[in-house]
Amino acid sequence: MTTVPQVEPASPAAAGPRPRRIRWGQVAAAVALPLALVLVWQISAWIMQPREWILPSPATIARTGWDVHERLWYHAQWTMLITVVGFALATVVGCLLAALIARSRVAGFMLYPWIIVSQTIPLVALAPLLVLWMPEFGAMVTLAALISIFPVIVAGVDGLRSTDHELIRAVRTLGASPGWTWWHVRVPAALPRLFTGLRLAAVFAVTGAVVGELVASDRGLGALTRLSAGQFETPVTFAAVVILALIGIAMFLIVAVTEWAALPYLRRGTRPGSR
Amino acid sequence: MPHGYDTEIAIRVDDVHLALGDDLPLAVLAGVDLEAPAGEVTAIIGPSGCGKSTLLDVIAGLVVPDSGSVVTASSGRPVLMPQRDALMPWRTLRDNVAAAAELRGAPRGDARALADREVARVGLAGFGDHYPHALSGGMRQRGALARTLLAESDIWLLDEPFGALDALTRSEMHRVLMAVREQVAPTIVLVTHDIAEAVAIADTVLVASPGPMRIVSRVRVADAGPDAAHEVLASLRAAGVAA
Repeated sequence: MTTVPQVEPASPAAAGPRPRRIRWGQVAAAVALPLALVLVWQISAWIMQPREWILPSPATIARTGWDVHERLWYHAQWTMLITVVGFALATVVGCLLAALIARSRVAGFMLYPWIIVSQTIPLVALAPLLVLWMPEFGAMVTLAALISIFPVIVAGVDGLRSTDHELIRAVRTLGASPGWTWWHVRVPAALPRLFTGLRLAAVFAVTGAVVGELVASDRGLGALTRLSAGQFETPVTFAAVVILALIGIAMFLIVAVTEWAALPYLRRGTRPGSR
Repeated sequence: MPHGYDTEIAIRVDDVHLALGDDLPLAVLAGVDLEAPAGEVTAIIGPSGCGKSTLLDVIAGLVVPDSGSVVTASSGRPVLMPQRDALMPWRTLRDNVAAAAELRGAPRGDARALADREVARVGLAGFGDHYPHALSGGMRQRGALARTLLAESDIWLLDEPFGALDALTRSEMHRVLMAVREQVAPTIVLVTHDIAEAVAIADTVLVASPGPMRIVSRVRVADAGPDAAHEVLASLRAAGVAA
């Protein structure tokens, strides 16, 4: 066995990562504003006593929401299913299109204009047509995917095209093939930007699902808001909107947590000066 | 010997011409001749943008010249160490270094063990699990040096590798490079625009003209002795580079 002589070592190794602490200040900051708004709304409702079908108080919305929770849950399941499937479809197809556009200039010239045009069409106008052409579930998923695919493609293409040239130069002299460079350098380098697009897409998918349900469906929270508002069940409408907001937040958080797990080198604790 | 060196030649660049750009080709290399003796450090010094990095790309085989020839007496391909460390931010230091062995076909486990050895050799033992952004500029360059070592190439092409470091760290990196060089004796071509660095590290300093680039003079540091830096400066002035 050969011994390896060493040059003078760098300064002593840093201590291991500190145990994570819950940052209560940040949690408080995140919930303070919504709580204050709900409180102001509730107090105003006590003082001004508006009609319930025009502006119900938060307490009325909560109470009604609990009373009709089975109805809300039935519609929420449908919306969540459409949102998740639509988002998954947008992610898969969006990543494939981004890879194609980043790899081939011809594909970029062919596809990018159409992708941009697709974003200028109002989805509301498209929903009745999609329902004519395919089953309701497929139409709703397509709408959710159509509205959420754009940020995936733009972020993916940007990420794949922005790889550090010096890095590619270095690994090529180490013997990296174009395939190795693609999977081990260009794709990982694109992930932070791609996740920015995915966070937007996760929220847009909820919007897409709701637009479809509002216009062309009898199921889902979008449909419930339309139907309940038409029957002056305003507290139910508000309860549905609150649940939609919670679904949007949950989708955003799922992507953020996936990003945290997939890209450990971007975590605060691993960055200099973050402790 | 016709080339005037005491050792065999590891890299011979002969009358290399290269123009870059599709629509409006710009001459970058205009008849570059270069000989780098095996086991020695050959520095190329010249103004920024004169084509030094492109010449390294040609020697590395990344760019094919329009005319002329490049012959390297190496068992493997030359390995390039760029100005910025070019470590992959998503890989730990160990996995960054291990990439050099992975690309030679080593299994992941073996590659990591080899990487640990080289990481220790450049004085970074204990930092293998750190991500590049958690390391200082000098430490990252040590990491890039460890990766270069693990590539097990006879020829190292260093493209202003210490240009982005502060003076103290740069001088520390010179010591690290010299210590490593004594152990593995590669042929090094060092591109720099720092006369002091060229004279401190290199056996031979080649002075490049402003672009399109040619080699306009050669200074053997040992022969020139304490006047080496002045000779290089005089050559740069004669080439119209230094004021």
